[in-house]
Amino acid sequence: MIDQTWAERAAGSKLECEVNGKAVSAEITPSTRLLSVIREDLGLTGTKRSCEIGRCGACMVLVDGKPVNSCLTMAYQCSGKKITTIEGLAGEEMLHPVQQSFLEEGGYQCGYCTPGMIISVAAMLAENPKPSMEQIEEHMSGNLCRCTGYGGILRSIERAIERGGQSDDRG
Amino acid sequence: MLLNRRTSGDRWRIRPDGPGKVTGQMPYLTDMSAPGMLHGAVLRSPYPHARIVSISTEKALALTGVRAVLTYADVPGLNRFGIAHPDHPVFCEDRTRFIGDAVAAAAADSIALATEALKLIEVEYEVLPVVDDPEAALAEGAPQLHEQGNVQHRNDYRHGDLEAGFAACAHIVEEIYQTPRQMHTYMETEGGLFIPEENGRLTVYSPTQHGFMDRMQLARILDRPETDIRIVSSPIGGSFGGKDELNVQPYGALLALATGRPVKLHHSRWESVRAGLKRHPMKITMKTGTDAEGKLLAHRVRIVSDAGPYSTLSAEVLNFAVEHVLGPYRFGAAEVTSVCAFTNNGMSGEFRGFGGNQAVFAMEGQLDRLAEKLGMDPWRLREINLRKPEDPGPLGQPISRTDGVRQVWEALGDSRLWRERESLKAISAEASAPPGLPVPPWIKIGYGAAFVMHGAGLGVGIPDPAGGRLRLAKDGKIEAVFGYEEFGQGLIASLEQMLIEQYGFAADDLRIVIGDSDVVPDSGSSTASRATSMMWQSLRRLRAPFKGKLRAEAARILGRPAESLKPLNGGVRDIESGELLLTYEELANQAEEEIAAETSFFYPTSPVERVGSHFMYSYSSVAVKVEVNTLTGRVRLLDQYHAVAAGPVVNPQGYLGQIEGGSGMALGFTITEDAVMDKGIYLTRNLDTYLIPTIAELKGTFEVEPIEKLPEGDEYGPRGIGELGSVGLAPAIAQAIFDAAGKRVAKLPVDPQLLQERISFD
Ligand code: FES
Ligand code: FES
Repeated sequence: MIDQTWAERAAGSKLECEVNGKAVSAEITPSTRLLSVIREDLGLTGTKRSCEIGRCGACMVLVDGKPVNSCLTMAYQCSGKKITTIEGLAGEEMLHPVQQSFLEEGGYQCGYCTPGMIISVAAMLAENPKPSMEQIEEHMSGNLCRCTGYGGILRSIERAIERGGQSDDRG
Repeated sequence: MLLNRRTSGDRWRIRPDGPGKVTGQMPYLTDMSAPGMLHGAVLRSPYPHARIVSISTEKALALTGVRAVLTYADVPGLNRFGIAHPDHPVFCEDRTRFIGDAVAAAAADSIALATEALKLIEVEYEVLPVVDDPEAALAEGAPQLHEQGNVQHRNDYRHGDLEAGFAACAHIVEEIYQTPRQMHTYMETEGGLFIPEENGRLTVYSPTQHGFMDRMQLARILDRPETDIRIVSSPIGGSFGGKDELNVQPYGALLALATGRPVKLHHSRWESVRAGLKRHPMKITMKTGTDAEGKLLAHRVRIVSDAGPYSTLSAEVLNFAVEHVLGPYRFGAAEVTSVCAFTNNGMSGEFRGFGGNQAVFAMEGQLDRLAEKLGMDPWRLREINLRKPEDPGPLGQPISRTDGVRQVWEALGDSRLWRERESLKAISAEASAPPGLPVPPWIKIGYGAAFVMHGAGLGVGIPDPAGGRLRLAKDGKIEAVFGYEEFGQGLIASLEQMLIEQYGFAADDLRIVIGDSDVVPDSGSSTASRATSMMWQSLRRLRAPFKGKLRAEAARILGRPAESLKPLNGGVRDIESGELLLTYEELANQAEEEIAAETSFFYPTSPVERVGSHFMYSYSSVAVKVEVNTLTGRVRLLDQYHAVAAGPVVNPQGYLGQIEGGSGMALGFTITEDAVMDKGIYLTRNLDTYLIPTIAELKGTFEVEPIEKLPEGDEYGPRGIGELGSVGLAPAIAQAIFDAAGKRVAKLPVDPQLLQERISFD
C-alpha cells in the first residue's frame, strides 16, 4: 500500500536521512529510487546497478539494519532512516568480518556483485550468527553472481560464521 | 591432489584487487563521472527487419538540454565495426537488421532528457519480412540480409572414406543436438565515460577485452589517428567474451566529440539484452558409428549456426566448433560440413568456450549413445578411442605434445565421485533395492561424465601477438606492464604471484600496470584462455635480461662484482648472506639510465594452413551426480568433479575460481538459460525471466583436481583454463539424466516436461 502522506510530502521535496553515519539531504521526486540517490547524488558507487527490478541484489544496502534492494526502494520511504552502504560497513581500522572473510577466501572475481553480496551476508549473520545451509540458501538466493559459481562465496560465508563477528583470527 | 585453500598453503594469496572490491572503493569504469558530463542514449530499431524511409532529428534537437543528436550522416570515418569482419553499422543508413540496431544517438544534460530526445527522433520505417531461423535463411527465396547473401561463413573438413566407414559399422547412432542463445549476463552492463581532452585527444573509459582493438576500430570510425585515442579498459565487471566487441564505444566517442563534453553511457539491463552478444545457437546433426568392439569408424557432422545480423567473430566461432566436434577422438573417417547464417535474430558472438560448448555437448552425447548400444561403460568407450600423445590434432595438424587426455581420463576413474558410482553399481547389481534411506520413487539419481579437449589461443591465421614489459620506475617500484585486461579472472593476481614466485620479488616491490593503451604494449587480446599463458612465457623471456640489468647497475653503484648480487625481495641482496645491499628505490635513484626489458612474440600456432587450427590444448574430464525429480522434471546438480590437465597452476585461487565459475555458467546453459526470441523479438528482457544459477543451484559438492605434469622439455608452461570449466558439464549432466531417468537430452536447456512422468500409485 502506498503511504499517501509520505508520497505527498515527498513530491519534489528533500530527503533527509543518515547514510553511513552522516546526515545527508537530497532533492528527490516521488519516483526517485534510493539507488540513484546513493550513486548519483551521494557518489557512493560501491552500490551497483545491474537489473533494476530487484532480482540480482547488486544494489543491496541496509536500511535500519535490514537488507533492501535500493533499486526498488523509493527514496521518500527512507526519510529519517539509517542507511548503510558497502562503504560504511567497515570500521575505522578494520574491515567488517564478512569483508575480511571474502578477502581471504576469494569470495569474488570481477567484484561487481560483491558489495551487495557482502551486505546481504552481513545482514544475515547479524540476525542469525549460525545459519543452516537451507537458511543460507533462502537468504542468499536474491544475490546473483555470474563469475564465481558461488564456491568462493560459500567458503567466505562459512569463514564468516566461524569468525563469529571478529575481523581478526580470534573468532 | 584436490585444489583448495588448504592444499595450496602459502600459494593461496589475497588478490591485489581484493581490498578495493570488498570495500566498494574500487571504481568501475561505469561508476565514473566527470564535471560537465552529458548523458548519452541510443535509439534502436523497433523492428527486427525494416527499411528506413526517413530520419528526422529536428524536434529532438530543439528540446532544451539536448546537446547533440547523431545519425549515420555524422560518422566521419567508416560507419561500420566488427573485430574480424566490419559489417556492423554504427548507425543504420537505410535498413535495420535486428532489434538492437542503432539508428541514432543523443546526448543531453540528464538521462531523462536524453531518453526524451530519442522519443522525438522521427524515423519512418517500412517493415520487411523477418528471417528468424538460420535454415530458413539458407532456403531458396529467403530475403537476403547482405549483399553476399545469407551465408556468413562455411567450413568443411574431411578425412578418410566415410561411406566405407559407415558400411563397416556394427553400431550407428544419429541425433540432432540443439543449444540455446545463452547470454553472458555480466553483472556490470555495458557502459563507459568518454572525455574529449584539451589537447584534442579522446579518452575512452570503457570495458573491453582488447584495448588496442577498440582503439583501432574507433580510429577507423572517427577517422582520426590511433594515437589520438586513449583506451582505459579495466577493471571490468565481468565479460566472458561479451565485451570483446565494441558496444557503447562508438556512440560515446561520437557524442563526446560532437559536443566537446564528457559523455557517459550505461546500458540498462534491457538494452544490454537487446543490443548485446549471445552464444551462437547451434543445431548439430551427427551420425557416428563404431565396429563391434567400439572403435569409432565413421563420423558425419553438420553444424548450422545462427550469426544474427552481423559477423563479429561468427566465422571464427564456427571454425572452432568444427575442430571441437572431432575432439580428442580418432575416427577412421570423418566429415564435417558447417554453415553460419545471417538472420534477423539477436547478435551472436564470442562467448567463453567459443563454440566448443555446443560442439562438445554433441560429440560427447554421441559417445554416450554409442556406449549404450554397445552395452559398454561410456568411460571405457572413450578410452578405446582416445588420441595418443604423438597423434596429430583434431584436424590432422601437428600440436604441442601432450598426454593430457590420458591424464584426465585416468584421474576421473580414480575420483571419489566415480568410485561412488562404481560401488553403487556393484551393489545394485546384487540387491534389488538400492541402499540407503528410502527415497520417494520420483527422485532418481544418476551419474555421468564427459571429456574436453579445448584449444587455447586464437589458432592459425589470426594474428595473435603477445608480450609485455618490466621496468624499474623512478619511485623504486618494479612495474610489470602488460596489455591485458582484468575482468575478474584474477589476471593481476596471477601476474603478481608469478613475479613473487619466479623472480623472488615481494608484493610491495611491484606495481602492475594494465588496461591503458597509452602506457601498455599490445599484448594481444585477453581472450581464448591465453593471457595467463602469455604472461608466463613473457616473464620467462624477460627474466634473464631484466634481472641481469638490475644486477649490472647495482654492481656499478655498489662497486661489487655482479656475480655476488641477486635482485630479490626489497632490493638487490648479497647472493650468499641474503643481506640487503641496495633497495630498489636507491637503485632507481642512482641508475644512469632506466632499467627496463621488453619482449614481444606470437602465440605458438601449428605450422599448417588451416585457419583456426590450434597448437596448444587444455584437457579436462568432468563427472557429475544429479538428481532428477520426475514429478517436477527438475534436475539438481549434487556433486561434481573436474580433472584439469593444463600445466602448472599459476594462481590456485584463480584456477579454482575459473573452473567453479565456468561450471556455474555451464549449469545455466544446461538447465535454465535461453534468451528466448519470437520472430526476431526478445521475449526475455531481464533477469526475472532469464535465470542464471543462484546459490541454491550451486551449493553441491565441488572438486577440482589439477594435473600439472607436462611432457619432458615442454616450453609452453601453463595452458589456459579460463574457458575449460564451462564446456564439459552439459554433456556430463545429460548422461547423468539418462542414467537416472532413462531419457536422452538432445536440446538445451533441458525441458522439464521431457523428464516428468505420470506416477501410478497401484
Ligand atoms: S539492481 Fe537492484 S536488484 Fe538488481
Ligand atoms: S564476482 Fe563477478 S558477478 Fe560476482
